[in-house]
Amino acid sequence: MIRHLFKLIWNRKKSNFLLITEIFFCFLVLFGVLSFIVYNVRNYSKPLGFKHDNVWLLTMRPPTDSTAQNRQIMEQVIQRVRTFPQVEHASFTSSNAPFAFSQMNNHFSFGNAKSIDADVYEVQDEYKDVMQLNVIKGRWFSTNDNAAGHEPIVINKAFQQHMFGSEEALGKIIQVDDTTKFQVVGVTDYFRAGSEFAAEDPAVFTRINLQKNLNYISNEMLIRVKPGTGIDFEEKMMKEIAGIGKDWALEVATLEKMRQNKAKVTLVPMIALGLVCGFLILNVALGLFGVLWYNISRRNGEIGLRRALGAPSGQIYRQFIGEVLVLATFGLLFGVLFAVQFPLLQVFQVESEVYFTALAGAVVLIYLLTTICALYPSRQAAAIHPAVALHEE
Amino acid sequence: MITLSNIEKVYQTKTIETVALQNVNLTVPKGEFLSIMGPSGCGKSTLLNIMGLLDIPSSGMVTIDGQPIQTYKDKELAHIRNQKIGFVFQSYHLVNDLSVLDNVELPLLYRSSISGSERTKRAKAALEKVGLSARTQHFPSQLSGGQRQRVAIARALVGQPEIILADEPTGNLDSVMGEEIMNILLDLNRLDGTTIVMVTHDENMALKTERLVRFFDGQQVSDAKLFATFQQV
Repeated sequence: MIRHLFKLIWNRKKSNFLLITEIFFCFLVLFGVLSFIVYNVRNYSKPLGFKHDNVWLLTMRPPTDSTAQNRQIMEQVIQRVRTFPQVEHASFTSSNAPFAFSQMNNHFSFGNAKSIDADVYEVQDEYKDVMQLNVIKGRWFSTNDNAAGHEPIVINKAFQQHMFGSEEALGKIIQVDDTTKFQVVGVTDYFRAGSEFAAEDPAVFTRINLQKNLNYISNEMLIRVKPGTGIDFEEKMMKEIAGIGKDWALEVATLEKMRQNKAKVTLVPMIALGLVCGFLILNVALGLFGVLWYNISRRNGEIGLRRALGAPSGQIYRQFIGEVLVLATFGLLFGVLFAVQFPLLQVFQVESEVYFTALAGAVVLIYLLTTICALYPSRQAAAIHPAVALHEE
Repeated sequence: MITLSNIEKVYQTKTIETVALQNVNLTVPKGEFLSIMGPSGCGKSTLLNIMGLLDIPSSGMVTIDGQPIQTYKDKELAHIRNQKIGFVFQSYHLVNDLSVLDNVELPLLYRSSISGSERTKRAKAALEKVGLSARTQHFPSQLSGGQRQRVAIARALVGQPEIILADEPTGNLDSVMGEEIMNILLDLNRLDGTTIVMVTHDENMALKTERLVRFFDGQQVSDAKLFATFQQV
């Protein structure tokens, strides 16, 4: 019977062309939207690699360009912050703190063999404790690094995989340009600071050495406070800092709030795309339903004939559902041929699993959609009285 | 053998009640070639539909080979139609998107016990019987009216049914084509012993059959054996 259905649909390919085209485009849209959703959901399910609860970001903007004066105030501020009993740890950081809308990256190379782009996070030794990072190999920065021959650098797991593959990373010298060389001293587990939906990109941590770099100025400080610390402390802390850095613009935000804001950047287009896709699918479903109903009503004579030749009503029902599934299969065949190019050609540098999951999901959804659209018209076809159908013809 | 006892068929709408058949008693023995005649709207096709289990009577009893079919469900009725009855229609009722061979194979599709190759073999044999073995891959639109009706006959006989019900099989054909089709039906009856019930408006065709039953206003008005004429064919 399946062969018969394929033959029937193939012989009617001209009249079914538009329907097959509609299914093809519907599949492509679904595939695109599902790829986007699967990509983000997969990223969301991966660990961030740090704990952002009870972490605040203090931003300080000095009113003058005087480096020496600003630097002095900056150091006074962090010393004062660390003395608060409510503060567990504090660390200066580059402006690309977790969930911030700013990025900093550079091009790293390992000998002449390989080079990659990676996010760069300039941090102090206490950053590990502030963000509760998990160092899986080697060590984090320490005061011993003040006397190190090469600048120490800690890389994340993704950096190790991209740059060194299965090779040991510890001790390797990597460089940014001809003069700046770093020695890998540790490897952290996951570190996805962009957002919860960000992919795990290569990242490195470089050390802020205030003793060595006397002109270094940082405007951002990450502070881990004790659980339960609230707005009262925030007000008190800001008041005291304002006393140290007069006329400085100060701002405090919790990483939790920043996480929510950053998540919206992905969630809003994802929801918007989902809604547009849903509306499109609804339109396709209505169109499909109408066309199927019309096609079936045009085939009353054939239905009567098949009933006369020995097809029970259930068989007619299954035949029409089967025909729609075969139609969907033709549309999907072209769609899958197109979609499968994405993982094969590594389009957008997205993992193949994302595309294959989206592809499978889109196929299942199309079959489900066409089956639902075919249920009622097929039931109507099965209910046609054979004598009446033959008489109408 | 088909037996109709006290058959009545009434079509009911909200305002009108139309009696299509009343008090019909008819027995068609195995191997008989019976023709049914009557003016349009006298209930001939309704009778054929009831005999072919495509319609159910409002009252009365239908038996096929002694089995009363009143209590049969849709699936069982479909099974009997598939196994025992072949249909030939005035307007051929071929599926235009299927080749001649596929059209003839159709009844066998509903027999799960028959393989694809066996279906094709039987369909080809049936087409040979009606002289259309050279047209297996043609589509109905590429055939003449007479050829289409021959395809319809091949489809009716491919399942080797005991009974063929033909509703004005020569109605859309010219006299030469009509003769050809009639001869095929006569051969089927005479050589294979197939029971044939044929509704026709053509007196000449009817006279070639074994028995002629006339209907008027839903009632059977005559039933005549035409044995002598039949023997001469």
